[in-house]
Amino acid sequence: MYHNSSQKKYWTFISENELVRLRVQANERFRSKLLATEQVGISESTFLQPQEEAALYKHYEKRLLDFCAVFKPAMPKSVVGTAGMYFRRFYLNNSLMEYHPRIIMLTCCFLACKVDEFNVSSTQFVGNLRENPSDQDKALEQILEYELLLIQQLNFHLVVHNPYRPLEGLLIDIKTRYPAVENPEMLRKSAEDFLNRATMSDAGLLFSPSQIALTSILNSAVRAGLNIESYLTECLGLKEDRNTYTQIIETMKSIKNLIKKYEPAKTEEVNLLKQKLEKIHNEFSKVLNQKRRKGYEEDGHVTKKAKTEVCVFLIVVCHTFILFSRFIQTFLH
Amino acid sequence: MDQYSILGRIGEGAHGIVFKAKHIETGETVALKKVALRKLEDGIPNQALREIKALQEIEDNQYVVKLKNVFPHGTGFVLVFEYMLSDLSEVIRNSDRPLTESQVKGYMMMLLKGVAFCHENFIMHRDLKPANLLISSMGHLKIADFGLARVFSNEGDRLYSHQVATRWYRAPELLYGARKYDEGVDLWAVGCIFGELLNNSPLFPGENDIEQLCCVLRVLGTPNERIWPEITELPDYNKITFRENPPIPLEQIVPDATLQAVDLLKRFLVYPAKKRIRAKQALLHPYFFTEPLPAHHSELPIPQRSSKKSRQHLQHPYEFTVDQPIEESLVDPQLICRHAELLHRDR
Repeated sequence: MYHNSSQKKYWTFISENELVRLRVQANERFRSKLLATEQVGISESTFLQPQEEAALYKHYEKRLLDFCAVFKPAMPKSVVGTAGMYFRRFYLNNSLMEYHPRIIMLTCCFLACKVDEFNVSSTQFVGNLRENPSDQDKALEQILEYELLLIQQLNFHLVVHNPYRPLEGLLIDIKTRYPAVENPEMLRKSAEDFLNRATMSDAGLLFSPSQIALTSILNSAVRAGLNIESYLTECLGLKEDRNTYTQIIETMKSIKNLIKKYEPAKTEEVNLLKQKLEKIHNEFSKVLNQKRRKGYEEDGHVTKKAKTEVCVFLIVVCHTFILFSRFIQTFLH
Repeated sequence: MDQYSILGRIGEGAHGIVFKAKHIETGETVALKKVALRKLEDGIPNQALREIKALQEIEDNQYVVKLKNVFPHGTGFVLVFEYMLSDLSEVIRNSDRPLTESQVKGYMMMLLKGVAFCHENFIMHRDLKPANLLISSMGHLKIADFGLARVFSNEGDRLYSHQVATRWYRAPELLYGARKYDEGVDLWAVGCIFGELLNNSPLFPGENDIEQLCCVLRVLGTPNERIWPEITELPDYNKITFRENPPIPLEQIVPDATLQAVDLLKRFLVYPAKKRIRAKQALLHPYFFTEPLPAHHSELPIPQRSSKKSRQHLQHPYEFTVDQPIEESLVDPQLICRHAELLHRDR
């Protein structure tokens, strides 16, 4: 259930600013890491700026979704949503300059298939790449190499709650309890389009899946020339609760704005940035990757309660010490 | 990994070894399940992913073993669980006399509470059996090994594998090759475990898949469309036919059980999965409210894990055990008397 999910606890953020801050941080972290290797030829112009990373990110995210769209056998929507979310979560704390998005993108899809129980074999998976068999083998090798890194960067939080199921639920609810809409099925197409576009925004990192789904339905109704805001008051119990009502209206507005402001990356810009990215990966990042291969442990791991445990431990140690010194004192007297 | 000191080996699972270890900071004893990833052509095994998924997304529950932590290690990763002393299969195997009725009730109640919790969270375990029901040093029963667990949804178009669950506890629809099933498979397994607790021996000990079906059919009678309408839709229904035989009353199968125990057992062991009593309802069955009442966990037997030999192997040299005579854990007074004399002189 969403309410006790790792998504709600660890992967839902307060504001867009917070997301920007994390991404800039990831960019800076890589910068200092690479500068610390003191390789010849690195200068300020070597690096991608945060906004440049963002443009490239959009390009590879689109590629991820295109790859999923033509995948055979047809991939369920929830798998696509999960893959997209993994990709987004991964690059929230990592720079594209450190891990190449081409391989991370495939690894995200591969892991999403497994986690969401869309069972395809690894050969079947890479068979979807438009490449010759030897390149497919190479891709698979890379995917398997990066899988552990990915799951670790996701903090082992594997379950993603997508808005597709809440959308089904809302449609059923409207069909059974809200007769004002004659044919609720006609809301589906445009609502689903909305959710697909939501995958390409930060909505999933800021809002709950049911909020996104509700926005998609109301948006779809508006496009069909219907006003179904009374669904909120009549069926979702918000008639008396004006506060929550205004809150949810505000939330839906923010979600809509997020999705509206999406602009696809420009091809010329992407091509220029790609050159820069390749250069970084081919010439400089190798040093870092060699280090990584040696072991994954150094990145530290997820401990839920380590801090409190240390505190408790220290308190216990202090107590024993005090008791012990008292004991000694009584002996000496 | 250096946060833990390994105390011994507990066992070996399909995807790695399980160790007993001590968390150095807190001194807490835990079980470490190492998942190695060498030479796996499909990468991280589904079983490991399922286990993490199922256990991470549900709230803590007293009757479900707790996943404390996950961390990468070398070429794989390690799952950290709370340490459990034993499991129900050992309880059944090692108890010198049969369990008392109140003890069986105690175990059933904890098992049903755990199962009800999983099902409320839309998780079907798919591999319930005595060996997967761990027993803590306090006598608590906790469901473990979510390697086959699935989050179930009502989407309806997803097919599941029928090669799940250990044979003796496999529901009849799975034996007939069903690819669409529900939490009913867990409730069948609960029924089998219940019967095993009552009899002290497995209810349907089939040697192979066909014989397993025979075992079930011998007791419940040959199924037909009238008592089990969905049977005609099952993939393997037409592949195999059995000689007609009538059901044997369960009273004869579990001869020592009380009427109420038999009544509850009957509600688990029915062909149509939808008609099996749900865990939550079963907890309200009169069986649990009539004398003798369910035993408190402190009244339940707590066998030591495996044989004495390997037990010594596991034991930490300074560990204190209740069974040990007290003189053995004391320091020899001869050794400290000199120090005591010194202290005395100072005074």
